[in-house]
Amino acid sequence: MSKPAAPPSERRPTDWKGAAMQKRIRRRYAAERRFRVLGAGAVILSAAFLGFLLLTMVAQGWRGFTVTELALPIDLRADGLKIERRQLATPAADLALASAGLEDVVQNAAVRAFGPEGDGYLAPSAWLAVRTAVKRDPSLLERRATVYVPAATGFDQALAGEGDPAMEAGVARLQKLGAISRGFNWAFLRESDSTDPVAVGIWGALKGSLLTMAITFLIAFPVGVLSAIYLEEYAPKNRWTDLIEVSINNLAAVPSIIFGLLGLAVFLGTWQIGGHVYGPMLPRSAPLVGGVTLALMIMPVIVIASRNAIKGVPPSIRDAALGIGASPIQVVFHHVLPLAMPGILTGTIIGMARALGETAPLLLIGMRAFIVTAPGGFTDPSTVLPVQIFLWSDEVSRGFVEKTSAAILVLLAVLLAMNGLAIYLRNKFETRW
Amino acid sequence: MTVASPAPHKMSARGVSVSYGDKQAVKDVSIDVDMDKVTAFIGPSGCGKSTFLRTFNRMNDTIASARVTGEITLDGEDIYSPDMDVVQLRARVGMVFQKPNPFPKSIFENVAYGPRIHGLASSKTDLEGIVERSLKRAGLWDEVKDRLSDSGTALSGGQQQRLCIARAIAVDPEVILMDEPASALDPIATAKIEELIHELRGRYAIVIVTHNMQQAARVSQRTAFFHLGQLVEYGETDNIFTAPREERTKDYITGRYG
Repeated sequence: MSKPAAPPSERRPTDWKGAAMQKRIRRRYAAERRFRVLGAGAVILSAAFLGFLLLTMVAQGWRGFTVTELALPIDLRADGLKIERRQLATPAADLALASAGLEDVVQNAAVRAFGPEGDGYLAPSAWLAVRTAVKRDPSLLERRATVYVPAATGFDQALAGEGDPAMEAGVARLQKLGAISRGFNWAFLRESDSTDPVAVGIWGALKGSLLTMAITFLIAFPVGVLSAIYLEEYAPKNRWTDLIEVSINNLAAVPSIIFGLLGLAVFLGTWQIGGHVYGPMLPRSAPLVGGVTLALMIMPVIVIASRNAIKGVPPSIRDAALGIGASPIQVVFHHVLPLAMPGILTGTIIGMARALGETAPLLLIGMRAFIVTAPGGFTDPSTVLPVQIFLWSDEVSRGFVEKTSAAILVLLAVLLAMNGLAIYLRNKFETRW
Repeated sequence: MTVASPAPHKMSARGVSVSYGDKQAVKDVSIDVDMDKVTAFIGPSGCGKSTFLRTFNRMNDTIASARVTGEITLDGEDIYSPDMDVVQLRARVGMVFQKPNPFPKSIFENVAYGPRIHGLASSKTDLEGIVERSLKRAGLWDEVKDRLSDSGTALSGGQQQRLCIARAIAVDPEVILMDEPASALDPIATAKIEELIHELRGRYAIVIVTHNMQQAARVSQRTAFFHLGQLVEYGETDNIFTAPREERTKDYITGRYG
């Protein structure tokens, strides 16, 4: 049923200079220009978003890294602190100072120095600064001295021109006394969570994040890369490996909160890793459980990236190695893996960055607890940076706003450092040959 | 075939067939390969000559669907028997591939890799000696001796192929299989490879697959002509090219098809 062939018509010579051809050329150039403008626009827009985000964070966050301190003249003996010098040398020094009424003594000193509202200018944790100073220099017990103590959040805000009028009057008075000084808030990098925004620090969350990431990396990287190697180099291609491949791809797309539920149900529930604070079992809220949960979450990402990287190694390299009698494992570890390493590392870093910024699954396994000391190890209760940011952003006190931004800056810095390390490693592997 | 052959063949194939799934690529081929002789496999594209060559060091093992039947022996030992260690086999029967495939490592490392994994060098100086001898034998030493730490992939195509030959002979093989070693090279580099094959003859049994009939005539002492997976004719190269017994051989070498 074929149509009769059309009679061969005489073909006119192409008119390269004609009007229709000129129009087509113009249209082509216009399309080219349009596309380039759109592309540049997209890049500029995303750069602008990024710049806006960074600027906002830095503008709000830099105050989180500074601290306002007040020079508090204090004479502990005269103010009625009843404590012997030898008590300071004992481990119970903190308790002794507290029961001797150090907090009241500090407040009285503030009232005497700064006026009737003077104790309100000090942060609730101000007496702790005095405690630290006394323990460092016991001679403070016998003499009159000036101790720098952190100012209250309200005072800090009044100093920035955002406080209430009464506090601003206090600021003006103290400025005249020359009692205000601002400096870098080392305590922010040293301390952990607190109810007082002046006393909070990021160290606990940062250390928690680092410990969690270490667990995540130690589990996800070897397991992910070995799975990828096995699936690519050894596994027979049949229905089972197809099923595994589909499962891995699906797993990579599972929302992170599901992994949190899994961690809660399996690691804390069925396996009872947590649940018993005392005894052989490990407590919940620990980097160990968080790390394992996040490792499960990013493992599919690492497997997929590693498989693609291994697939990208030219077969001729495998042939070459096999051809001179390299065993399969030598082929993999001497040739395929080094060549695939840049791609594997890129995938791993993408996964690790995702894990570092992950909040939802960790909330479910209890890493949202209020924890005032940095974790000492993998099994200590701890929190992580994104959860800490989430918790602080939820706080009512205005002092937490700048601390939240400061914590975000720390998180971004850690991410940048991680990416920098990845790029360094990638270049190192790429230039080795 | 006499049972007690006075000069046993280096490698022998008896009734070898290879199939990929349902498709039979090599049908019932028997051939002998000897030391002191270069054996050339010629034939049109897709005739199974490369597939057959790859049975000699079991490189077909890496293709999951490939099935090999028949018997191939190296010094009388069946290389497909379960006792045969395939890694050692591939060290004894080296291979040079169509596309030069140096490792993306230094020139030195390329040649040293084989001796290193097989533990052939007793010391660093010994290894350096092996590398130097192999590169000299492959006719590459003078060109690269001052830049052994440069990447092997930075060499020209012809140099890369000679580097691959040096890499193959560094593990001291008994047989060298060459799968169209010069097909990706220019005429000058090709001439150098052919010259090299001449020099290597005698030390190794060499089997070369080529679709260039002139090349087969120049480098080989024996030629096997394959067509559609079958061995059509096998004999002294001079005879094949001047007085082929089979009609199909004659048609091929006179350029009727190919």
